[in-house]
Parts: sequence; structure tokens; C-alpha cells
Amino acid sequence: MSAAAAVNVENLTIAFGAFKAVDDISFCVEAGEIFGFLGANGAGKTTCIRAICGLLSPTAGKITVAGRNVADDLLAIKALVGYMSQRFTLYPDLTVRENIAFAGALRKMPARKILARAKELFRFTGFDYPQDTLVQNLPGGVKQEVALCASLLHDPAIIFLDEPTAGVSPAPRARFWNLIKQLSTAGKTVFVTTHYMDEAEQCGRVSLMQTGRIAALDTPQNLKTANFPHPLYEISPSTAAAPGFAAALAASGAGAVRPWGLRYHLEEQNADLWRKFSAERAGQFSQRRITPTLEDVFLKLVGGSAA
Amino acid sequence: MNFNAARALAIALKEMRHILRDPFTLALGLGLPLLLLLMFGFIIDLNYGDIGLKVQDQDHTRFSREFARTFSSSGYFRLEPFSSEIAPVSWLDSEKASGVLVIKENFGRYIKSGRQGGAQLLLDGADNSKTGVVLSYLAGIMDAANRKFAQTPPRNSPEIRTRFLFNQELNSRWFIVPALATVIIGLLGVLLTAMTVAREWENGSMELLLSTPVSPLEIVAGKLLPYFALSLTGTVTVYIAARLVFGVPFNGSQIVYWTACSVFITAALAQGLLISVVARQQRLAMQLSMISGLLPAFLLSGFIFPVESMPVFFRYFTMILSPRWFMEISRGVFLKGAGFMELIRPLSALLAINAVLITLAVKKFKTDIEP
Repeated sequence: MSAAAAVNVENLTIAFGAFKAVDDISFCVEAGEIFGFLGANGAGKTTCIRAICGLLSPTAGKITVAGRNVADDLLAIKALVGYMSQRFTLYPDLTVRENIAFAGALRKMPARKILARAKELFRFTGFDYPQDTLVQNLPGGVKQEVALCASLLHDPAIIFLDEPTAGVSPAPRARFWNLIKQLSTAGKTVFVTTHYMDEAEQCGRVSLMQTGRIAALDTPQNLKTANFPHPLYEISPSTAAAPGFAAALAASGAGAVRPWGLRYHLEEQNADLWRKFSAERAGQFSQRRITPTLEDVFLKLVGGSAA
Repeated sequence: MNFNAARALAIALKEMRHILRDPFTLALGLGLPLLLLLMFGFIIDLNYGDIGLKVQDQDHTRFSREFARTFSSSGYFRLEPFSSEIAPVSWLDSEKASGVLVIKENFGRYIKSGRQGGAQLLLDGADNSKTGVVLSYLAGIMDAANRKFAQTPPRNSPEIRTRFLFNQELNSRWFIVPALATVIIGLLGVLLTAMTVAREWENGSMELLLSTPVSPLEIVAGKLLPYFALSLTGTVTVYIAARLVFGVPFNGSQIVYWTACSVFITAALAQGLLISVVARQQRLAMQLSMISGLLPAFLLSGFIFPVESMPVFFRYFTMILSPRWFMEISRGVFLKGAGFMELIRPLSALLAINAVLITLAVKKFKTDIEP
């Protein structure tokens, strides 16, 4: 465990009956980094984040946040962190102002400070609806912005965002990530879960989750270079050649083939066989050398669809 | 457990806003008590006067006429003579009369010779409540008749003179309306708070609450406060209606009554909160609160059936139910003018129930998100 660790998780297991939602995982989040949890629904991301925030008790293992043990020092940790659930947690029948005031009051913030801080956060996120709007009358993405502001109100040192951009359209999604980066620049630790690959690319380090376990954990760049030491090609077969093409390519022994929409990604493992296949099938397909993305890594390690 | 008053107040303020923006809750808290009181106050009337009584006089003597007059002069019966061709039972069958009095032939002779059984009174046993009242009137009438026909007045016979205290006219509304207030507060309080915690679980806001350092005690206190204000307002409305519309006298001390009211309201609200905390689903909470609010308030509070005449088990069981104790207080204060000293037992019981319910609600409050 590093001295500067914001979050340290050791052998965490969370079981619901016989089902292990989180299965003996260990990791460490450094202070000031953007740490991403990438995984399909049901991979255990939310369960893990809830345990770290003290919202459910682990079956086994030890969690420390800012050097304090969650099991012993929960209230102090709750005062220190900000948490935004993937569920919508604001009160729809209260106005934006009332929701923010309530969130601040729970944090024992003086009214004046709440106002100043809310103004700052709203300017930051570009929120420009009247603050007397009932939350139920806001569009979905805007509601999420208000929820984010509510969880950042007390200027927490460690911020947990559970799928903050689920269902949010591209423009506000970009704004969200600008905000997350600014928080990180300001020295805050951001722990974010997502199943968007482009979002995971922006994290300092990413943990790939699969059925309660960590399949891989590193910087996005390291994940790519470590998992794709060989060249990667994108292959588009012509319409006429498409039937049976993938099977033939896989059988050629040139490398590992993974479907990519209507195209295929070929991870070259035997350059000679690949040249031979290309010569035999000349004119039946087009190819280009590509650099691997996190999605390639994800599909290779976890398999199936990320979303 | 930590308690921060400012945080509890913030929750109370938020809860107050929910109430003010929800017409249903407002109607439930303010309109329903009044509606129930007026409905029940007018419908439930245990006084029977002007009972239609068919009379068949087969004797036609001075005695038979005198006997029939005893009934009419009691003030409770309206006599309607009918001829001997009609079968007496048919009046009851067709529900055209509440009772049929048949004075047999030779009634006069029976009286003179001191024999019994010269007359017959037929009553509808299917209408239990009315028949019970008629029987109670009958005792007095027979007494009067005996005195009238006795050739030699009985000497040294023991006589009980009954005087009704506190409700001299035995006006059933005076008895029922204060009790009805108990039923209404008891039911309403449970219903009002039963939704509040369950709603937070269902719409996800509990997750936000629990991710802050807020404690269950602060949540419970913050939720009790605004609903207390709402219930108290509803209770004041019921009180005013009881006095103005039904003219129920109030012989006790206002301080005693409203202190007891406050304790009882809190107990009902705490019961609803406990249900909400445990159920965590609005529908389940609604069902539990209907059952646990309605049944004790109506059936086990002494409102309809006196606690003293219940089977032993229920006599003890009612002790853990707050309506039973407040029923005692409400009737005592309204009609008898009872003070703190006379009410020390029910008041202590209510306070104890309060302490248990609130402690349970706080202890049972789950701070874990997943089941």
C-alpha cells in the first residue's frame, strides 16, 4: 500500500448469498489520479464502489479511504468523499435550489457557502436553467449535472462517480469529462465507473472488470501495448467474399480474428501465413494497419460486448 | 449515535416541502379527519327513540289498555294497534315494526289472580344492537307496570335508583365523538409517515442521504417533526368540530388534553415510521399501516368493544397499542375532566410505547443499500 493512496482495497469480497458480486479483488487508487472501472453491467463495479463509500458491508477484505478504515471510521470518510450514484438521487418535487440547499445542509455547510459554491459549480458545468425549476421538469442529462453538483458541493477530496454519464448526450458528456479533468488537476482523486470506451481512455489508470474480478489494471497505453505486441489490422471483406471469409481467415493461422461490426480485427501472429492469405485472397478485401484501442483490449481480455 | 439538530431540521424542512407540494398528503392530513368525524358522528347514533311497536290487544280490558299505555308513556315507543286477523310475526318479517306486543285474552284475569304470561313481546333478534336497547328499556317499563298492577305495594323491597354521572342524558354522541377523535388520529398518524422512508428507498434518494454523514436518528427526528405539525393541525380541526358541530362538552383541562394528544400523535407517527423503515417498499408499507393502524384503533381501543369485556389475551394485548390508552385519556378528559394524576397510568404507557417505537425505528434503520 502506497502512503499517498486515496483508496486501498485488499482482498475485497462481497457476496449476496451464493453469488459473489465482487470476488477477492485488490487494488489501490493514488491520490490525484483519475481511476476508471470499466466493465459490463453486472461486473461488480457499482457494488465495489458502494462498499468503498460504506453503503454496504463487505463479506471479507479490508478497505481504507484516505488512510482510514471504512469499517471503523465511516462517518469521517463520508464527510470526506463525494458520491454520485448511477441511480437518480435528487428529489423531483423540489427545485434545483432546494435540492442543492438540502445536500449542503446535510454536509453542515452554512447557507452562504452553499450559494457561493453552487454558483461556482453551475458556472463550471454550464448549467443555465432557473434555479427555481422543479428537478422533475429538467431534461435527463441536466438532472445528472445537478446531481453531480450536489455531490461536489462540499469540495470533497475523493470523488466517486458511478456511471455519471449514462444516458447523457454527447455534448454534456464532454463537459462532464472536462469537469472531471479539472477536478483531477485541482488535486482531487476521481474514481469513476463507465462502460464507454472513450471515457475509459481519458482515465489515468483503468481497471477492467469481469464477473467480480479484475481482468487487467494499468494505464490505457500500457494495456494496449502489453496486450497487442503484434501489428493489428482492420479487414473489410467485399460483399461478395463476405460469406465464410472470417472462418477462412481464422483457419489460415495468420492470427486471432475478432468481429468488429461488419469488419474484422486481425491480430497478426504469423507474418508469413498472413502474407500468404493476403496473396491468395487478393482483391476480395481491403486492409489497413491500426493502433489498438481500449475496446480491442477489452474484447481480447473480457470478450463479448462491453456495453 | 450522533445527533446534529441542524441536520435534522434540514430534513424536516425538506419533508415540509414534500408535504406542501403534495395535495394528497395535505388532504389526508387535514381533510380526512374532519370528513371521518362528521360521517361517523352523524351515522353512529346509539340512542333509539320513537321505536315503532305494533300492539295487538286481544283482551280489551282496563288492564290491557293500562299495560299498553306503560309502553307509550315511557317515551321510547310509538304504539300502532292492529287487528287480530294479521299474524304478529309478519310485521317483523316485513321489517315494518321493531317489535310486536301481543296482549292475550284473559290478560286482566291473569293480573287479578297473580298468574304470569298474559302478554308476549316479539323482537327481531337479527338486529342485535336495536334489540339490546329495547331490552334495556323493557326492564324499566316492567318495573313501572308491576308497581301499577300490584295489589299491595311491596314493602322493604330493595330499590336501585340509577343516576348517570358525567353524561347525564346518556347522549351517545358525547361518548362516541371524543373516542372517534382517537380512532382518527391513531389511523391518520400511521398512514402519514408510513410512506416517507419507503419512498426514499424506492426513488433512490436514500442513497444520497446515506452517502453523507447523516445518522438514522437525525432522519427519524427530521421526518417526525413536520408530520407532527400536520397531524396536530388535523387534531385541532377535529376538536373544534366535536365541540361546535356535536356540542360535546369539554370538562377537562386543555393542557392535559393537548399534552396527551401530542404524545399520542407522536406514537402513531413513530409506528408509521417504523413500518416504513422496515418495509422499504411503499405498497407494503401502505398495507401494513392500514392493518396496524385501523384494527387496533377501531376494534382494540375500546371504541366499539370495551377493553374490560375482551378475552384475557386481548385485554393484555391492547396494552401495547397506543389507541387503547389514548381512548382512556380522551374520554376521561372530555367528559370526566380527569387531570394528570388520574391519567398517570395511560400517559406513562403512551410515553413508554413512544420510546420503544422510536428506538426501534432508529435501530432498524438500514444504512446498507443492498438487501
